[in-house]
Amino acid sequence: MTSEQHDQPGQHDHHPTPAQYWKIAGLLAVLTAIEVSLFYIDHALGLGIFNAIMLLGLSAVKFLVVVGWFMHVRYEKPMISRFFTAGFVLACSLYLVVLAALGVVAIRG
Amino acid sequence: MTATAERPTITTIFRRPRSTSGLWGWITTVDHKKIGIMYGYAAFTFFIVGGVEALLLRIQLASANSEFLTAGAYNALFTMHGTTMIFLFVMPVGAAFMNYLLPLLIGARDVAFPRLNALSWWIFFFGGIFLYSTFIFGTSVPPVSPGGIPGNLAAGGGPGSFNFLATSPDGGWFGYQPNAGPLYSPGTAMDYWALGLQILGLASLISSINFIVTVFNMRAKGMRLLRMPVFAWMSTVVAFLLLFSLPIIAVALFMVTFDRQFGTLFFAPVGGGDPILWQHLFWLFGHPEVYILILPAMGIVSEVLPVFSRKPLFGYSAVVFAGAAIAFLGFGVWAHHMFASGITPVAQAAFGLATMTIAIPTGIKIFNWMGTMWGGRIKLSTPMLFASGFVAMFTIGGLSGVTHSIVPSDWQQTDTYYIVAHFHYVLFGGAVFGIFAGLYYWFPKLTGRVMNPGLGKTHFWLQFIGFNLTFAPMHWLGLQGMVRRTWKYAPETGLETWNVAVTVGAFIIAVSIAVFMYNWYHSRRHGELSGLDPWDARTIEWTIPNPTPEYNFATPPEVTRLDHFWHLKYEEDEEGRAVRLPEADQIIADLEYDGLNPRHPIHLPAPSYFPIIMASGLPLIFYGIIYHTTTWGKVLIGIGALISLSALIGWAIEPLEEPMDHEPGHDVDEFDEEIIEPGDASSADADVSSLVDGEMEVSDE
Amino acid sequence: MSDLAHDAAVGHPEHESTGIENRKLGMWVFLSSEFLFFGALISNYLLYSNRTGFEGVYPAEIYDIPFTSVSSFVLLMSSLTMVLAHNALTRNDQNGARTWLFATAALGAVFLGGQVFEFTEFIVEYDMTLSTNPAASAFYVLTGFHGTHVAIGVIMLLSLWGISRRRGGLSEKHGLNLELVGLYWHFVDIIWIVIFTVVYLLSVPV
Repeated sequence: MTSEQHDQPGQHDHHPTPAQYWKIAGLLAVLTAIEVSLFYIDHALGLGIFNAIMLLGLSAVKFLVVVGWFMHVRYEKPMISRFFTAGFVLACSLYLVVLAALGVVAIRG
Repeated sequence: MTATAERPTITTIFRRPRSTSGLWGWITTVDHKKIGIMYGYAAFTFFIVGGVEALLLRIQLASANSEFLTAGAYNALFTMHGTTMIFLFVMPVGAAFMNYLLPLLIGARDVAFPRLNALSWWIFFFGGIFLYSTFIFGTSVPPVSPGGIPGNLAAGGGPGSFNFLATSPDGGWFGYQPNAGPLYSPGTAMDYWALGLQILGLASLISSINFIVTVFNMRAKGMRLLRMPVFAWMSTVVAFLLLFSLPIIAVALFMVTFDRQFGTLFFAPVGGGDPILWQHLFWLFGHPEVYILILPAMGIVSEVLPVFSRKPLFGYSAVVFAGAAIAFLGFGVWAHHMFASGITPVAQAAFGLATMTIAIPTGIKIFNWMGTMWGGRIKLSTPMLFASGFVAMFTIGGLSGVTHSIVPSDWQQTDTYYIVAHFHYVLFGGAVFGIFAGLYYWFPKLTGRVMNPGLGKTHFWLQFIGFNLTFAPMHWLGLQGMVRRTWKYAPETGLETWNVAVTVGAFIIAVSIAVFMYNWYHSRRHGELSGLDPWDARTIEWTIPNPTPEYNFATPPEVTRLDHFWHLKYEEDEEGRAVRLPEADQIIADLEYDGLNPRHPIHLPAPSYFPIIMASGLPLIFYGIIYHTTTWGKVLIGIGALISLSALIGWAIEPLEEPMDHEPGHDVDEFDEEIIEPGDASSADADVSSLVDGEMEVSDE
Repeated sequence: MSDLAHDAAVGHPEHESTGIENRKLGMWVFLSSEFLFFGALISNYLLYSNRTGFEGVYPAEIYDIPFTSVSSFVLLMSSLTMVLAHNALTRNDQNGARTWLFATAALGAVFLGGQVFEFTEFIVEYDMTLSTNPAASAFYVLTGFHGTHVAIGVIMLLSLWGISRRRGGLSEKHGLNLELVGLYWHFVDIIWIVIFTVVYLLSVPV
């Protein structure tokens, strides 16, 4: 092995412990359960736009949790989150406009 | 001069390649310079092919109601002319410049992932061959009645007839649906188009990742991002454009391939598909693509103008940020290619406005280039002629582009030759002139010689006159109603006279290119020796010997400011004028000596045959997809996948660089790099003449 | 004197101008481009699933939400096993890393099995194929490409597991590769998070 042992891959100052990872996984499972429940509630009671908002919100939280902790972005250099965010924002913007142009999404006003 | 290479004996089944000379040296190279050279020669070959396609078109159009070409042949030719020039010439020649220069401009030994770099090149190489093999294997059958053929089940799934042009894709370089889909383009030709582009896109995507990591991670000490030469910046911007636009066209091409091969209904109106979706997806890629085509040339011009005006680039930061702004805004204007496709008035207004905004950063660059030349001591060497030509011709093309951004005006211009005039002014008058500026400017780095100035000027003036004669009349021909993509026009239209002039211009361009080719071939062997600094240049790629040694920099440079090399040679007097330091010549001599005589062992990535092997599997897979309804089609897919997968495994096992101890007698298996010992100079390795001559004068011990 | 290209390629972040290893930065750059890839496919599905009047069955009419919920849960948990594998390696627990790697691959394979089952059901039970209507085409191509990404991930995971078994553990270089495969794996997971909500849950008419 080399002398640069301090460069163990992924070794950074902050590292969630396995226990913390299990807790995060538990959170993800709970959020998924809520999502599925909402689906059935919506079909029973008709929640309207609230359903979409809640579901998208819950997915967003799951998304950010996996990105932030499992993909370690919270502890990485800002450049990484910048690249990642750039791709995400670009994709959302472009496709939103395409969907609007094709009549799927209505732009109010 | 020898290069001592110490390599492992066995990594996998076969011995790791040891040689950096001869044909095998080129096949297994991971050296960015060799890869750049190969890209350049391949791209230029396609330039000639695309040019011949254009000349055939021009012969047809030189007379009214001409019967020189059939309508089908005409469609095939304009399709392949566009596809070739964009994907097989301008993009790869940009890659050639970026590959060769980027490490030199930032003070690095190579790119971040040398084997991946080789992979990109070989994927491109096989992709180009795959695309052009349509002429041998493709079939282009006239469409049948509206009942149609679902998917691509056209008769004769194997090699088609030798009706030369009927085998070519003929759906335009933009492949509009459903015209280029299974119903109206049965046969296999458009599959070669779609899958060929898919392969080429993959090559560029891999390259873009490589270049981004290289620029961000491999800069020499002191080479802050805002000290990088403009060409390095433009390469970075282009890499981001490629990174984010190629996945979109990849999806679109998968969708059209699935429509044609597997019966999906993405773009088939009969089944409920939406042809406009294709246009959106295509132009979402297609518009960033045109900035991918022009930004390298803009970078080249930003390097050449300051050197030959003997003045720094006017407003370096503005030029850099304008380039980034053009790229960013370029993602937001794609539907200006669709003003006549039935998009809503709101969309038209939005995209029209967005398109106008691009004129702002573009204008900034143009004014800054002019500001660079203003008040400078201009030297009209050949690179400067082409760079100045770029500024003028691109401005004209940009102005016609602005007229397109006005929607009602575009409704008149679209699908006429006015548009053809616009994009040829920016792509030929712009990109191609810029490319030639770069070829003349950096020729000494490849060969150690200068191209003949007399022939260079002849080339320039012939090309300038021929280019303007060809494309200027297209402006008024278009406004007079000459329609695009139409194989003939009637005599009553009165279009013939200027069409003859256009054709004459096209042939003048051809002659000018012949002059260039002769100049290149002749100067490589007999051109005047350049020395280290033939142009009295400003940036650090000129601080190393010509031709470039295999290891680039003998010692990694340390940069202290923008235009670092210039400031080694010059200081400013009280009036801000550059005064050459008395020790400048000695500095140059020292740089040359140090560059040729490295004092410390240098580690370079070793050659590898896995990139070419892995790349060779891809076209087999795609041939198999085209003929997947047959047994041997399925077999091809399997074989291709097996080859690529095996190469991938071998590659993963093969070490590129490992922390190593290069004392003699050390465990050879750990050892996988070429070592340049002090006192060696292997500059001959990068000499392009080795490709032509065969064996080089390098002894391999 | 440090050799920049050499050091950067070996992965000594203190010599790379950004402080991030080359291969790691490369993987992140690649993943950010994948948003454009999957975004196109998801948008395509949204376009066609919202168009009424097609003949044939729409995917949203035949989803088995409970089944897909379980699949989604499986994939989510595979992200957990992935980080546990990486975590084990950072503590030089080679056996643990191997175990969790295999677990991740297994969960991924279960997910894929679920996809295959779902597709088979759709084709056999409901006669929904690639050519039924554009919504069906869009559904299959979107989830098909996602599944392909998962399959590639499983292959990479098993390769790392195999290398670890043969050599008695993962070296520093392969350790970085594990981290990179992990990033790829989590990315495939977050795409599924989006797909599960947007394509499945929000798609079924109330």
